Amino acid sequence: MQKIVIIKYGELSTKKDNLNFFLQTLKQNIQELLKDLEVTVTNDFGRMFVESKEENFLKITERLQKVFGIHEIIVGYRDSSLDLNDICNQVLSLISDKDFSTFKVETKRSNKKFPLTSVEVSKKVGSFILKNKAGLKVDVKNPELLVNLEIRKTEVLYYGERIKGLGGYPVGTLGKGLLMLSGGIDSPVAGFMAIKRGIKLEAIYFESPPHTSIQAKNKVKMLAEKLVDYNGALKLHVINFTKIQEEILKNIPHEYLITIMRRMMYRISAIIASRRNCHILVNGESIGQVASQTLTSMKCINEVVKIPVIRPLACFDKLEIIALAKKIDTYETSILPYEDCCTIFVPDHPVINPSIQKAQEYEKLIPYEELIYEAIKTEEVINIDKLSSIEKYRDIL
Amino acid sequence: MIYLDYSATTPVSYDVIDTINKVTKEYIGNSNSLHSLGVKSSELLKSATDQIASILGVSSNEIVYTSGATESNNLALIGTALANRKKGNHIIVSKLEHPSIYAICNYLESLGFEISYVKNDSEGLIDFDDLKRLVREDTILVSICAVNSEVGIRQPLKMIRQIVKKENFGTLIHSDMTQAIGKVSVNLHDVDLASISAHKIYGPKGIGLLYKNSNVNIVPIMYGSSKGGNLRPGTPPLPLIAAFSKAIRLANVDLEKRERFITLLNEKICEQMKKFPHVVINKTKYSIPHILNISFMDVMPETLIHALEKKEIYVGTNTACSSGELSTSVMAIYNDLERAKHTIRISLSFMTTTDEVNKFLTILTEEYQKLAKLH
Repeated sequence: MQKIVIIKYGELSTKKDNLNFFLQTLKQNIQELLKDLEVTVTNDFGRMFVESKEENFLKITERLQKVFGIHEIIVGYRDSSLDLNDICNQVLSLISDKDFSTFKVETKRSNKKFPLTSVEVSKKVGSFILKNKAGLKVDVKNPELLVNLEIRKTEVLYYGERIKGLGGYPVGTLGKGLLMLSGGIDSPVAGFMAIKRGIKLEAIYFESPPHTSIQAKNKVKMLAEKLVDYNGALKLHVINFTKIQEEILKNIPHEYLITIMRRMMYRISAIIASRRNCHILVNGESIGQVASQTLTSMKCINEVVKIPVIRPLACFDKLEIIALAKKIDTYETSILPYEDCCTIFVPDHPVINPSIQKAQEYEKLIPYEELIYEAIKTEEVINIDKLSSIEKYRDIL
Repeated sequence: MIYLDYSATTPVSYDVIDTINKVTKEYIGNSNSLHSLGVKSSELLKSATDQIASILGVSSNEIVYTSGATESNNLALIGTALANRKKGNHIIVSKLEHPSIYAICNYLESLGFEISYVKNDSEGLIDFDDLKRLVREDTILVSICAVNSEVGIRQPLKMIRQIVKKENFGTLIHSDMTQAIGKVSVNLHDVDLASISAHKIYGPKGIGLLYKNSNVNIVPIMYGSSKGGNLRPGTPPLPLIAAFSKAIRLANVDLEKRERFITLLNEKICEQMKKFPHVVINKTKYSIPHILNISFMDVMPETLIHALEKKEIYVGTNTACSSGELSTSVMAIYNDLERAKHTIRISLSFMTTTDEVNKFLTILTEEYQKLAKLH
């Protein structure tokens, strides 16, 4: 018997014409994710199979649980014998170390030449288990252990542990987006949601040294690393925002600080997005959460760009966002206490309902086009990849 | 020299020593400092931890560094007990644990906790029915080692988890994995807490870790940090941590291939030992090949160990941490006092050569026969 991982697709199966593209993307994503583990990935239209060495299976199933486009991950076995006696014995040996008192056998039979129907196979295997393992009962409604087997043309598949997949679309099938990543709780979660729908992300971060520290930047890198689990390698564009921020602080009425600052960030993000062929901006704004996220603020800020801005968390409550942040393991990092661009220089009374006209007037007080041009020239691109930070220390670790 | 006491401790690999040197010299900053030297250290600390987490299949924030497995065991048991007093005061351990577990249990008993000892069968396997019976509503923790240090019995932790969680979902499971890590593959998700040490996997002494699932709450047993949530205060020993990270990486290469080779060495020794009527091999089908426990019924183990030592061969008595006493594990499995009094432990490594085993067998046979004649 050979141990394998069987992957079942979710929503993909509804994508008729594009199915092949979706499958190929999923397959490439999986191969990329498991490239250090010597695996073979094959597929048919119903599922994908991963073969590898025994010691890798744990890592494989761990990692696959973070891959979008997968409905279910099954650790199973394949065996080439289609002999009923062999099938019975294989099942028996597979359940020998399990603790259960009721069970049910379910058989699928894609091999229509097999002499027994699936119901007949289930019955035969079930009664064989009853005969050979004491103290068991069959329970078809609510069994403690479900024994699944699948009789195919040249082999039988035996299902073991079944793990729920993440769902969603394979990353990259919907094109690219640029995530506005701060060090907060919301933006990594927004990124996760966008990735779920098949968007491959790059990220942009604004730093203001020396007002913001290297720790704050490292924190953003750590958050980006968490997203790599789902997104694959991710390009982080770091923009030095110090000059713009200082000019705004010196010249613009303080109640409009945040509004103007956000308008600058949007403009810069739109330019980077267009250069990187990203079709949308993604951010963590949630309606009403802070002054810059009221409907009028959003309108006033959004006005400066044409590119669509997707806000996956727009209608989420803070507690819902925190729960998701914990689930994707970004929460603990997000709450590390380092200042970022949006938290330094916060005015006491930011405008809640900014007017577009005023914003446009105030902006004229600074040479913002030039400042933006200068800021973009400072762009630092950091390639964040799984364990890339470890690779950096290969001589030590 | 022929070293066959790898389960007591291992020599530090030269690659790992290089790491200790380099990090000690080049990373002088405290990883908690705000300046760039501190950042340089904290970045290495993070990467070292990420590497360990990735190899163990857990999240980096689930790793707490300690001074070694004994401290990890203390933090796991005492930290869980004190954090869960409201839920109950009952703890279950096996009869095959490292002595530190029993010492901690004695302390916890003095605080009013109740300790139960789960039985094992004659093959050393945990008695599942007994375990089922013992788990109660007020059971807060079950601690069972992944691999026993004296006889090398490997426990099916997944099965143990199923049984315990079925009886009481809130009961936490801890496993001392010191003797398992780097020898056989382990799944940390089978347990809530696990103790691991560096010096059994060719790393330095003085560094270990406790894996703590992020959903599990325990309290510290040491205090010293103003930051909340820090289970183990103190400046992280970066050279040791980086070395530990490297040791874990190197120890997890070709596990299965190495195990197959060690099995051959183990069998070779057993074959030779079977020739002697007064020698019993304490090995069951659950023993891992790296640890081979043998009772020489007609010589005192200490005498034999010193006789071998004169020929520069080093083997162990039960565990290094309780030398001179009888083997509690052999007693727990075979219930035979004489057998438990006469054990020596041979522990093998992938570094052991066939040649070493051949020489060892020749000398052991000579020395044993000399000593046995005296009786």
